[in-house]
Amino acid sequence: MATLAPPRRSPLSQALAGARHMAEDTSTIWSWLATVDHKRIGVLYGVSAFIFFLAGGIEALLLRTQLVVPENDIIGADAFNRLFTMHGTTMVFLVVMPMSSAFFNLMVPLLIGARDVAFPRLNAFSYWTFLAGGIFLNASFFTGDLFSGELGAPDGGWFGYAPLNLPEFTPGHGMDFWALGLQMLGVASLAGGFNFIVTILNMRAPGMTLFRMPVFVWMTLVTSFLIIFAMPVISVALFELTFDRLFDANFFNPDAGGNPLLWQHMFWLFGHPEVYILILPAFGIISEIIPTFSRKPLFGYPFVVFSGIAIGFMSWGVWVHHMYTTGLGTIANSAFGVSTVLIAVPTGVKIFNWLGTLWGGSIRLRAPMMFAIGTVAMFTIGGLSGVTHSMVPSDYQQQDTYYVVAHFHYVLFGGAVFALFGGIYYWFPKFTGKLMDDMLGQIQFWLLLIGFNLTFFPMHMSGLLGMPRRIYTYDSDMGWNLWNMLSTIGAFTIAVAVLVFMVNFVISLRNGKASGKDPWDGRTLEWSIPAPVPHYNFAQIPQVRHRDDFWHQKYQEDEEGNVVPIVAGAAIAPDAPPGGHDDHDEEEHHDIHLPSPSYFPLIASLGFPLIATGLIYDYALVPVGATLVLVGLFGWAMEPATEEE
Amino acid sequence: MSSVRRHAPRIIPAAALLILLGLLLSGCETDTPQNTFDAQGEVAKDQRDLFYVAMWPAIVIMIGVLGACVVLALRFREKDPNSLPPKQIHGNTRLEMMWTILPALLMLGMAVPMVAMIYEQGEDPDEDAYYIDVTAQRYSFTFEYPDIVDDQGRQLFVPAEPHIPAGREVVFRLHAADVIHSFWLPKLGGKLDVVPGETNVLVLKADAPGTIHGQCAEYCGLDHANMTMIVHVDSEEDFAAWVEEQSAPPPAPANGDDGEETEDGG
Repeated sequence: MATLAPPRRSPLSQALAGARHMAEDTSTIWSWLATVDHKRIGVLYGVSAFIFFLAGGIEALLLRTQLVVPENDIIGADAFNRLFTMHGTTMVFLVVMPMSSAFFNLMVPLLIGARDVAFPRLNAFSYWTFLAGGIFLNASFFTGDLFSGELGAPDGGWFGYAPLNLPEFTPGHGMDFWALGLQMLGVASLAGGFNFIVTILNMRAPGMTLFRMPVFVWMTLVTSFLIIFAMPVISVALFELTFDRLFDANFFNPDAGGNPLLWQHMFWLFGHPEVYILILPAFGIISEIIPTFSRKPLFGYPFVVFSGIAIGFMSWGVWVHHMYTTGLGTIANSAFGVSTVLIAVPTGVKIFNWLGTLWGGSIRLRAPMMFAIGTVAMFTIGGLSGVTHSMVPSDYQQQDTYYVVAHFHYVLFGGAVFALFGGIYYWFPKFTGKLMDDMLGQIQFWLLLIGFNLTFFPMHMSGLLGMPRRIYTYDSDMGWNLWNMLSTIGAFTIAVAVLVFMVNFVISLRNGKASGKDPWDGRTLEWSIPAPVPHYNFAQIPQVRHRDDFWHQKYQEDEEGNVVPIVAGAAIAPDAPPGGHDDHDEEEHHDIHLPSPSYFPLIASLGFPLIATGLIYDYALVPVGATLVLVGLFGWAMEPATEEE
Repeated sequence: MSSVRRHAPRIIPAAALLILLGLLLSGCETDTPQNTFDAQGEVAKDQRDLFYVAMWPAIVIMIGVLGACVVLALRFREKDPNSLPPKQIHGNTRLEMMWTILPALLMLGMAVPMVAMIYEQGEDPDEDAYYIDVTAQRYSFTFEYPDIVDDQGRQLFVPAEPHIPAGREVVFRLHAADVIHSFWLPKLGGKLDVVPGETNVLVLKADAPGTIHGQCAEYCGLDHANMTMIVHVDSEEDFAAWVEEQSAPPPAPANGDDGEETEDGG
């Protein structure tokens, strides 16, 4: 590549090279803006997603405050509708998805023995576009008349059903921000999806065959395929909606021959795979945690992997179960009813395999393990209430009631969020060299478990007692009072648990106990390298000989499966200081070529919110944004990936 | 690693489980206006019974899995932190085939009554079914009775609190005036969406006279929460009397035969 560089440098390219060098000093803010290091991008994803988590959580607390007693009027109907729309949109697109992306970014290269992802700058572009979309979406709050207490946020629900999503019924710009913001988030997800597919298929260390990959990597692969096939569907729907709203098209306008159910089909054809996009990374995380803390390999690795793949395929054939009550007829409802009961099977297989991993283990109930077991238990409840939903005629009663709200919070909070917390406790030491405080972790776990069940279990009851979703008020004689009171108390308990987590995170970051490189007696490659992870990850690309390769560097099995340590003492004290032979002097690794920082992904991403703002308010901004995107992409294409000295 | 911390987890999940179960069961006995367990008609009863077909196995499996989580975590807890890892068990194909196939059979078994009921409830209404046109608009339901006409043959329009006959199938033809709504009378049966541009048909049958509460179940905008309705179920005689009353010419003083009014009928 150096041979292609022109002999003479223009002032512009010199300035660019200067800016790049500035970004190479990792202590500056510039280094964060221009970073292409998968670990730093992972941190950015995680921190951003957590901030959005706090925003979505505050929205939830406001909703629960409004519903604490019947006939309450604390925030009122308008704010309530906007807040539940933003709560759902935020938690799905700005919290669970990007938090999963954070783990993909942080962990996938380390788990497959790579130095970075396949397309580091595309990775940066994915992050900045996500951030732009998230901020743009939330900026909609300020388009109302804030001084009179009117929020401008979207008010069509996170599902944005037609024709309610048309300007005739949802005036104001909230839904425009929603459609265009989600469009940006789709671009970000697609970029990430392609990146991780190529990374996983092409960048594995020698010997890391597909069936030696950690389950988390498998789940990332399945999720990434789901993303690249599902996102275009919602993108088309959102484009059509944008045309309906901004340019008076009639895709969803029944008065002009448009079809409102078309929106539902597209939304849920995206939306059901999306459910698995949210949960499969969590399954991957606990499939790493449970074996490590049971000190046993995952029970039935092939079954867990294949059931994940089966879920990926089957997730495309169940979307109508979100539409049982739209009147599609007996044949459609029967077919999708049967496919829906069957998708419970591969999910159940995973649960039994995790329990099989616990069986006969030597279980260490540290904080990550508590969250992982909590995930199994809570997801099971959500999965089983899902089975009751799949029974079409009985779902006619439950559809759009709080029973559904209970169901998917058990799946997405009890499943995904618990697992994500577990993942943070598990891998925190790898990136900081410090352990998170276990006692605080246990306190957080129990507070979260109790608060979570207190919030969402009563929703089964209020739902079966006939309480519909998305109502800002209810009469006192409906029998829902107690359940709503309990849910609100639970919601604030969850808030306390989250505060405990934040305190723990900050304390541990500052004064956490030194972890060494392998605090949990880990099984996979990431534990073989120093903590914090050096910027080049692996001094030498490892040669992989086994599934759970690092474990096999420490132990071996005799014929009966009994364990014999290879190096005396390697397994005895998990907190022992790192003594592996990987810790060579860093001086030796100056020859490792890593991609140079680049500002161009950020520049390209900044163009999108400008285009979107222009479409809504003033077309003059559109060419400005488009120019920025083009400049970003052009510069990105022209600059060398690695700057040679 | 104090002993307190190790023993606390034993009690908490067990207690939580019991409380949750108690809550679940207590719901079945509450007599509240929209309680789906308190079915007052055939459709709602069948749907509730089908719910039990899924709910009871689900509760059994839930207790099994949650119990296993707690029991296994405690039973196989590490005794000595300096011990070697236990025997490495990589799986058991026969066991795993079993827990793939058995749940699949259970699920397919549950699908049989489900599909049967989908078809049963999708059948055409009885010969003597009573037809009512429902229009949903933000934020109310209005009811029109095609069979109730005044002496001029004009259809009458019933704004709120409609009446239906007991013991007879009632066919609600659902029309949307603006956005999607969902027509739901929980004690008579599950909901059906009201979709613009389409006419969905919901067949319900009330067992006995009484008052049925219902509510829009699809988010439709600002005042969705207040889009409620009350339907009176009358005995055949009372219903006939009510129809008579509705059909009678209004006792208003200005009782002229204005031909223009026919325009408003539709």
